[in-house]
Amino acid sequence: MGILGVYLRKIYTLFRGEVLVLPSRIVVFLFFLVLLFLPVVTQDLYLLRILILTSIFAILAASWDLLSGYTGQMNFGHALFFGVGAYTAALLNLHAHIPPYGSIPLGGLAAVLAGLVIGIPCLRLRGTYLALTTLAFPIILMGIVFAIPGITGGELGVSGLSRLSSSRLYDYYITVVLMLGLCTIMWKITDSKTGIIFHAIREDELAVRTSGINVTRYKLLAFSLSGFFAGISGGLYAHFMRIAGPSTLEVSMSFTVVIWAVFGGIVTIYGPVGAVFILFPLLEFFRFWPEFRMLLFAVVILLILLYMPNGILPWVRDKIEKECPRCKVRNVATRKTCRVCVAPLD
Amino acid sequence: MGQAFLEIDGLFKNFGGLRAVDNVSFSMNRDQILGLIGPNGAGKTTLVRLIIGILRPDSGSIRFKGKNVIGLKTWDIINLGIACTFQNMRPFRRLPIIANVMVSCLCPRAMKRGEWVKRVEAKALDALEFAGISDMSLEKASTLSQGDLKRLEVARAIATEPELLILDEPFGGLSPAETDLMAKSIKRLHKGGRFGRLHSEGPAMIIIEHKLQQLMKIVDRIIVLNYGIIIADGTPEEVVNDKEVVESYLGEGGI
Repeated sequence: MGILGVYLRKIYTLFRGEVLVLPSRIVVFLFFLVLLFLPVVTQDLYLLRILILTSIFAILAASWDLLSGYTGQMNFGHALFFGVGAYTAALLNLHAHIPPYGSIPLGGLAAVLAGLVIGIPCLRLRGTYLALTTLAFPIILMGIVFAIPGITGGELGVSGLSRLSSSRLYDYYITVVLMLGLCTIMWKITDSKTGIIFHAIREDELAVRTSGINVTRYKLLAFSLSGFFAGISGGLYAHFMRIAGPSTLEVSMSFTVVIWAVFGGIVTIYGPVGAVFILFPLLEFFRFWPEFRMLLFAVVILLILLYMPNGILPWVRDKIEKECPRCKVRNVATRKTCRVCVAPLD
Repeated sequence: MGQAFLEIDGLFKNFGGLRAVDNVSFSMNRDQILGLIGPNGAGKTTLVRLIIGILRPDSGSIRFKGKNVIGLKTWDIINLGIACTFQNMRPFRRLPIIANVMVSCLCPRAMKRGEWVKRVEAKALDALEFAGISDMSLEKASTLSQGDLKRLEVARAIATEPELLILDEPFGGLSPAETDLMAKSIKRLHKGGRFGRLHSEGPAMIIIEHKLQQLMKIVDRIIVLNYGIIIADGTPEEVVNDKEVVESYLGEGGI
């Protein structure tokens, strides 16, 4: 009991020093807590279904931010990774009878290959040219899907896949835990030394080259990592819906990902995740007014971006926290002096 | 006879109908500081871009420590031991100043030097300290003045621990006091030694500069380019008295 007490006290001290000091960290902690313990309060199948899909798309949106937000490789064809992950998982499951815990990671690896396939020809391109070229790839794949209906199921897609798990509750925990884990990994990547190089490539590629960094390797790494995470989300989607269809490759899917990321705030990882958790359930809520559903959705997005051009979550964060002008540590907005260096904050 | 440290032979570069570098040949030793001067558009920056692999020459050869560098990628050339700064500074504006230097510290050449593999931040800070801007390490690069940006460029270049450092107008935009400080730093760097965790190899240097008075004080040798052609090559005294250099660049008033 004594040792347990010491550890508990240690954890509490860590929690007080690292989490309770900033509102944004408290919000993230509560977000984890609510998602993990929600089924204790309700196991409503419809609510769990919405949250499962939201979690899947949150991985997808964060993976777009990793590639396009951090590294500046503007990808307007992110649905390619999602579709490749979904189709690979579906085909492996259906024909090779590989269970979801094998087919989903393999779908992720197939999306890594897709990332390399589009990354290599796109290495020389930047900005608008890159965006338009990447837009073409999912359209090409959709053409291939329709061209070989014997394998891909054509318009109907590949259906009859194994369930993700035996119950909706397990489905929920698998997707939510994966979403929290993968998004944390993505955030850690962006916070690492590799992340600094990703940032620098976005800022000035030539200067990175003259710093002795192999830019090609890092750009392909960004495409591969982003592809892997998006492929995982595609595989999860296919197994949850029990179908991988051409809708996973649609242009609208690629643009929806961009809308989520921009709405939440790019170059943050948490922004796109938060945005999906706001917008996806909101779109479901607007089903009460089916004829105005998309109109209301568009109005919400336009209003937010008009008044919060850097995205909703960075805007909220800047309202509740402020950066110390001296040591750059973030503080609660109500503080008068910095919690670390005691410099005045106003 | 020993191998030249940097050897450029018969280098040509055309941009459409314009010949930017015209049959340039010279070599330099490991212990030299070489000034590269000439009027605007003489081909100085183009020559630097050819050396570090941003541009490919139409013909000719560039050998660094006996190795032909033509066809190598820029990052491979940097990792061989050449570093450069830009005339128009290219900081990573939205990154903190220390992160700007950390990028250079993360190149394979800098990472190979064992003891600070895991101490990239500390080494970056030492490079900033050497350049004289360590007190601003947490500020965004976009907040820096022209002079501090020059220092940041130098810090980024020396963080790769080069054996040949090419500085493109290091005194540009600096006040006289700042210019003197920068000149002293260049000399100190050329002497070599350890500055905290940063180790200076005592690099050979090529300095492109228009502020000739300050340049003359620190270089051993000057090459003058005009219309892509080398019109003079010698000690500072020889060059300032060269008739063609006076006519094409310095004017009758000299420096």
